Amino acid sequence: MPMAVSPERVRTGITRLTGGRLVKGNQLVEQDLWISSVSGKILRSQQVFYEHQVVPDEVVDLQGKILAPGFIDVQFNGAFGFDFSAVPEDMTEYQKGLKRLNRYLVRTGVTSYLPTLPSQRAGVYHKTLPYLGPSGGARNPLEGSESLGAHCEGPFISPSKNGIHSVEVLQEAPNGFSDMKACYGSESFPEDGKGPISMITAAPEVAGIRECIPEATRRGIRFAIGHTEATYEQAGEAIEQGATMITHLFNAMRPLHHRNPGIFGVLGKADGKERPYYGVISDGIHLHPTTVKIAWAAHPDGFILVTDAMKTVGLPDGVYDGMHGDRWVKKGPLLTREGSNTIAGSSATLIECVSNFWTWSHASIPEVIRAVTATPARMLGLEKIKGKLDPDADADLLVLEAQQDADGKRTLKVDQVWKFGTLVHDASDEQFGL
Amino acid sequence: MRLIICEDKSTASKYIADYLIDRIKSFAPTPEKPFVLGLPTGSSPENVYKSLVAAHKRGEISFRNVITFNMDEYVGIPREHPESYHSFMYRHFFSQVDVDPANINILNGNAEDLEEECIAYEEKIKRAGGIELFLGGIGPDGHIAFNEPGSSLRSRTRVKTLAYDTIIANSRFFDNDLNKVPKMALTVGVQTVMDAREVVIIITGPHKALALQKCIEGGVNHMWTLSSLQMHPHAMIVVDEDATLELQVKTVKYFKSIEQVATAQGFGQALASEEFVLRKRDSVLEKLDSPKSPTSKSFLAPPKPPLARQITPEFVPDSMHQRVVEQPATGLGLDGMEMKELPLSSMHTRVDSGSA
Repeated sequence: MPMAVSPERVRTGITRLTGGRLVKGNQLVEQDLWISSVSGKILRSQQVFYEHQVVPDEVVDLQGKILAPGFIDVQFNGAFGFDFSAVPEDMTEYQKGLKRLNRYLVRTGVTSYLPTLPSQRAGVYHKTLPYLGPSGGARNPLEGSESLGAHCEGPFISPSKNGIHSVEVLQEAPNGFSDMKACYGSESFPEDGKGPISMITAAPEVAGIRECIPEATRRGIRFAIGHTEATYEQAGEAIEQGATMITHLFNAMRPLHHRNPGIFGVLGKADGKERPYYGVISDGIHLHPTTVKIAWAAHPDGFILVTDAMKTVGLPDGVYDGMHGDRWVKKGPLLTREGSNTIAGSSATLIECVSNFWTWSHASIPEVIRAVTATPARMLGLEKIKGKLDPDADADLLVLEAQQDADGKRTLKVDQVWKFGTLVHDASDEQFGL
Repeated sequence: MRLIICEDKSTASKYIADYLIDRIKSFAPTPEKPFVLGLPTGSSPENVYKSLVAAHKRGEISFRNVITFNMDEYVGIPREHPESYHSFMYRHFFSQVDVDPANINILNGNAEDLEEECIAYEEKIKRAGGIELFLGGIGPDGHIAFNEPGSSLRSRTRVKTLAYDTIIANSRFFDNDLNKVPKMALTVGVQTVMDAREVVIIITGPHKALALQKCIEGGVNHMWTLSSLQMHPHAMIVVDEDATLELQVKTVKYFKSIEQVATAQGFGQALASEEFVLRKRDSVLEKLDSPKSPTSKSFLAPPKPPLARQITPEFVPDSMHQRVVEQPATGLGLDGMEMKELPLSSMHTRVDSGSA
């Protein structure tokens, strides 16, 4: 008796995203994508189809929009009014604030990030680092953005290149790595490498730091050069010791001089293995557009866009309390100290930085998106599970709309955000959200 | 056999796609009575799949209750290899329409026991009720599925070693490296295809012209295995002009005229469903078996004289007492009894109907 299978099936939790243009390598490809809200991953659709004979529960038509991996921001200090380094009396407030930040942050398109702590006293690190470690263990999409581990930017930096960091808390490491342990807390450096810190920014010319580099990398922590007076040669040595990243290139370091190329010079080294990744703040305030373009052209494979945003990002324009008793004035992406023109930091969102870069460089959309997805994932050693639209990667996705104005301004807009295979933000639906 | 000659490859593909859609729609498949469809791979049917996908996206056809059986699959390459026939079908068809994956049947070239796989496949076809329509292509050597020249025309699903010609033809999908092309495949047999209720073959391109000529104008020959189609009651071959290059002009003209006449007369040639045909047959049998009513074989009867009616005399109404003579009283012992005559009067003088 011939029997075709009944249409009533068990729900599989699989969503099929169709009709979109997927960012794959350097191209936009028209292809379907199957994601699972149960495993939170991108599926091998053909294998799942034939092997398990499942069909998607839901089909979403992207109507020609761009489908990209979720953005990864490896440097920002807070958002939506929450400051990672502000320690309250009651740490449950800190925890709540952090959870709230994760839910709001994911709407801006940042699905994973490194919460950044600028130079602080040891006590701040001891109190906050336990909360800032990788938070995606539960793979719960409703939490929103996921921390991939903390970024400790300081206090082992150069006093003359402190930016807005307070000089009083800066340190040297005369006892080598044990000074680092004392500052960040020895629990932050477990032997299995699964501690809360993912990246440390320090100045390699500061006493004792050069010897710390292999200690950190041995424990799976990325070492970044930043806030430094290092010369081109010193930077090269740090890279040989294991440094793989430069923190906000050009800012808080020696400029490019034609006979003293400074840190920027390492981008020109011929052998690919020696060239590090490097962060660039493209808010239009920290760097001139053409500087960004030149850096990208010199070493596109290492180019990572970051915001280095302060806690005012995501808040409406106005006056807010800053760090160390300052008052800050926020106007769009620009953040200044009240009463002066000194830049207090950045308040641009990552999608704004990406749009700026696209406008200035006229790079292709896949190349632009690579700077906030595949490249930071590779820098963090997470290229198998983050930053790309391939099977077995986490299903952190963005649906983007690309617009080009008549005057040449290009913008990418976040339409939908998917985290671990579940829709967590839809710009067209005011009510929908975490 | 119907030979449909279309102008070019895309018209031929569209013709087949439209025909398939018509067939499935008029069959009206249900879960209890699904439409069992045999499917091919290769560059010839690619455009057919494109048309079917487009029609499905427009909402014209659903493949919900269609069970599919593919013709063949390579042996020894992984199922997810981009050149496997599983991948071909997924890429060009299954990922874009609504065939239920549980209704899809493709031979497994990585089965532990290939012979068991073939026997199971034949059994699955049987259990699905047999194939309603088998769509296929042809190789340049006239093969149907992977039934290479020399295959038995009675063959069933089995393991086949590929002919050198076929390996060369397929090498374009394997970086033009002959060593990368699989040497063996599982394929349905010639008889498996012939067991389908209807067979539709697409043949396009000048490189297939010789094969078409051998299969239609030559005899049934195991060197050109598609020629077995000549023995099928409902075969249809859809070709483009290029594929007819080796045929006699007479053949081409003949088949073209058949189609023209059929269309002009409004005589549909699409194969009706088995149900419909069986019902028609049943009603014919009924008529043949019913008892014969005596037919008035009027031409054998003698001529009947015209019946003339006798003239009826005119009716003169009279009363009975005038015709009946009064008999005098006889010695009946009734003396002394007076016979009084009843006064005859009409009822209406006695009864006042007005007061009734």
